Amino acid sequence: MVEIAVLLKQVPDTNAKIAVVGGRVDESAVTSWVTSPYDEYALEAALQHVEAAGGSITAITLGPARADKVLKDAAALGVTKLVRIWQDGWEDLDSNQVQSALADAVKASGAEMVYCGKQSADRNQGSTGPGIAELLGAACVVEVSEFDAAGSSYLRPAASGSEKVTVSAPAVITFTKTDSDLRRPNVRGIMMAKKAQIDVVASDVCGSQVTFNGHSSPAEKPPGKTYQGSDSVPEVVGLLRDEAKVL
Amino acid sequence: MVYEALDFYDVDSQLTEEEVMVRDMVRDWVEEEVLPKIEDACAEGVFPDEWRVALGEMGVLGAPLEGYGCPGLSYTAYGVICRELERGDSGLRSFASVQGSLAMYPIWDFGSEEQKEKYLPKMASGELIGCFGLTEPDYGSNPGDMVTRAEDKGDHYLLNGAKMWITNGTISDLAVVWAKLDGVIRGFIVETGDEGYSAPEMKGKYSLRASVTSELVFQDCKIPKDRILPGVKGLRGPFSCLNNARFGISWGALGAAQACYNSAKEYALSRTQFDQPIAAYQLIQNKLAWMLREITKGQLLALELGRKKDNGTWIPEHISLAKMNNVDIALEIARMARDMHGANGILDEYCIMRHMANLESVKTYEGTHDIHNLILGRHITGIQSFTRSL
Amino acid sequence: MDITIIAETNGNQLHAVTRQLVGAASSLGASPTILCPSGSGADEAAGIAGVGKVLSVNGDCFSTFDGGAWAAALDAAAGDGVIMGAATAQGRDVVSRIAARRSIPVVQDVVALSGGIKMTHPIYSGKAMQDVTVAGSCAITLRANTFPAAGDGGSAESATVQQSGDVKIAVQEAIAKASERLDVSDADVIISGGRGMGGPENFDKLYSLAEGLGAAVGASRAAVDAWDGIPHTMQVGQTGKTVNPTLYIAVGISGAIQHLAGMRTSKYIVAINKDPEAPIFKVADYGIVSTWEEALPVLASEIGKLQ
Repeated sequence: MVEIAVLLKQVPDTNAKIAVVGGRVDESAVTSWVTSPYDEYALEAALQHVEAAGGSITAITLGPARADKVLKDAAALGVTKLVRIWQDGWEDLDSNQVQSALADAVKASGAEMVYCGKQSADRNQGSTGPGIAELLGAACVVEVSEFDAAGSSYLRPAASGSEKVTVSAPAVITFTKTDSDLRRPNVRGIMMAKKAQIDVVASDVCGSQVTFNGHSSPAEKPPGKTYQGSDSVPEVVGLLRDEAKVL
Repeated sequence: MVYEALDFYDVDSQLTEEEVMVRDMVRDWVEEEVLPKIEDACAEGVFPDEWRVALGEMGVLGAPLEGYGCPGLSYTAYGVICRELERGDSGLRSFASVQGSLAMYPIWDFGSEEQKEKYLPKMASGELIGCFGLTEPDYGSNPGDMVTRAEDKGDHYLLNGAKMWITNGTISDLAVVWAKLDGVIRGFIVETGDEGYSAPEMKGKYSLRASVTSELVFQDCKIPKDRILPGVKGLRGPFSCLNNARFGISWGALGAAQACYNSAKEYALSRTQFDQPIAAYQLIQNKLAWMLREITKGQLLALELGRKKDNGTWIPEHISLAKMNNVDIALEIARMARDMHGANGILDEYCIMRHMANLESVKTYEGTHDIHNLILGRHITGIQSFTRSL
Repeated sequence: MDITIIAETNGNQLHAVTRQLVGAASSLGASPTILCPSGSGADEAAGIAGVGKVLSVNGDCFSTFDGGAWAAALDAAAGDGVIMGAATAQGRDVVSRIAARRSIPVVQDVVALSGGIKMTHPIYSGKAMQDVTVAGSCAITLRANTFPAAGDGGSAESATVQQSGDVKIAVQEAIAKASERLDVSDADVIISGGRGMGGPENFDKLYSLAEGLGAAVGASRAAVDAWDGIPHTMQVGQTGKTVNPTLYIAVGISGAIQHLAGMRTSKYIVAINKDPEAPIFKVADYGIVSTWEEALPVLASEIGKLQ
């Protein structure tokens, strides 16, 4: 039997155009909000783990009312314990604030394992998993790409390529894309999601230690250029490294 | 890649949360499982069995029916399901239409309790496939004069005749067959394996190639007495089924239209000729604007019809209007899109010719375009003009 | 502001990114202390220009990677101020945990730094940038190959300290780099070949280049249709996969509209084609007019130099 807390973050659809207006990414222009993709893999892993070992899942999100959607989507897959953390006026929370609020919710849920994505599709930081682990006194295995359904082992990156590890509860596991097919909801699940009860909780967090200065669009790409002959390859590689910064 | 369906008036914002979740479930499945395989399925002329399984697992078969393991969704949700399926392929949506509206529905509405318990749960799960036998080789728009007949032989019925153009026939486990018993049209459930019944596939189609189309042949076909549908007599039976299927098609056609519109718009923005994308030329913009106009009108028609279906204020003529209009404009949009894609439009690289060919069938089946016109003409004038004599 | 750098190593040697961390710290006017877990790379670290002190942290916990154990040990060894690491899987893990231990904020994947400390990092997979200032102590990781590396000529004092942490993760099995090829749908870098490659056997050149870059290999429809050895799963285009990588390198691909439909939104497009009129050059950020036979070996060697 295992009790798992799955952390789900709501983010703009990853194909959405991101526009910066008035020094901030314009959320009002976002037409489609989704569960952060790596979090979906974490949820799928949790569902498989509970199917194999018994137990239950608590889905937790930190976000405003629109984030209820990620919990309803989890409900459509069978999750019945749903928690959203929010306080009016919250804006630009720093890593400590986010982690302490989520850690409190995890403790309240009684879960001994926490599954989440390796990083969110919006902020791309990857701090939440390990940070929460520290607050919970738990081990953390990051960037898991394969797992044994009953939770007996996890595959993570290593210098050799990858390595299979074991860890005992309490532990936080962060997931990258795995080989699992993300299960789809079905109509029965969707009907159950309609009746889902979401617990909305507040959280006292300390003040932010980070001053948010603003968002900006990345530098415009220079227009494309064509170079003649294989002799130009070193120059192009240099540009890819220094100008485009993709190498 | 997430599919962005044209929704200029944001009609989908009027769907309930449940309807949106159902839409997204089907949309994602079509994107991930159907589109990568549809061209091969069409080339081979097969309906992949995995799709039957997936539709059953998703729980979308017989969408608006309540009880007996059926989904119990709104009619609007059923429409949304059809739209998302047909954006993939009309043949795929035809499978679901026949299963839900033409095979499950008559059992649900006109069947005995035993029949409902026996067939409906397994049809909802996709374990049993059904089909609908009304049309005959010589009786299409005029089903009332059908010649397939049933005789009461005391301990069984004997069926003789043939049905044609039957979607799912060859792969079905049961057929709801309409035949005249003592001159009155009744519904009979014929099972694969019944003596004297066969369902050969009709080959050589250029349209709905990912759908199985069959003949149903009854040669002294013996079926047990308990297979008659007790709850209905006359054309009301089959027409009730057709109303439901036509409703689904009025939404479905929009899916095909949206797919063609998206492709045309993408193509026009990418294809350059004379140093600009062809989207910069007026004739192209005119066509795209016309498509947007008709899709938007069609969406509003479909949404309003869905509401009427759900609150019971509909009449069959409402459905005729929407089916006729939406299929008609969808076919025009497909043709226009083919034209805009130039030579590329004939390749299976693009969905256009496949949708265009499919929509030819969709315009003809479930009541031809002309017949629906006459249904409305009769409604307006009170005078039927299907035939010279009554 | 004191800066403590957590050295990133490759086996027993210092990873190149560590010099970039020193360079970044120096640009803020600091003489950073470098912590070397198990003393790996300590000698080289002492020779990097700008380093204030090198501290080898010896403990049993460093034989396995357990972010919690490493963070406990390094946290005890590190002074106050700024903790700086590389934005690698391990670096981000350890630095996040040190930050949580100290209740200081963590900012990851920083690409620009200036006094204050003002930091910029990409968000939305690089579609936008976030700018923040942390006036007090903080933990940060820097993106690799973004900051100039510090050179040699340093002579920092070295010391050793014993610190360890509780290891709760056990390694069962090390698995060598999978010979399974990366799928185009998942890759951040894609190298695709077209009919211009001449034959499926020539795709071997693309596979070895791809290995060097951690890239996936794709193909145009023309290549897939022409050659059995190039399966449909590799196809990028209208009827293949639509991809959106950071870098797309098209080799021997003309750039017909059906192929462009599948890769047009790539962040950066490089094209190698011997035909200067090939339409792919209209969408390429960096186009190289050359045969692949001449260009690919040079490309492979230049990329090798970057590793």
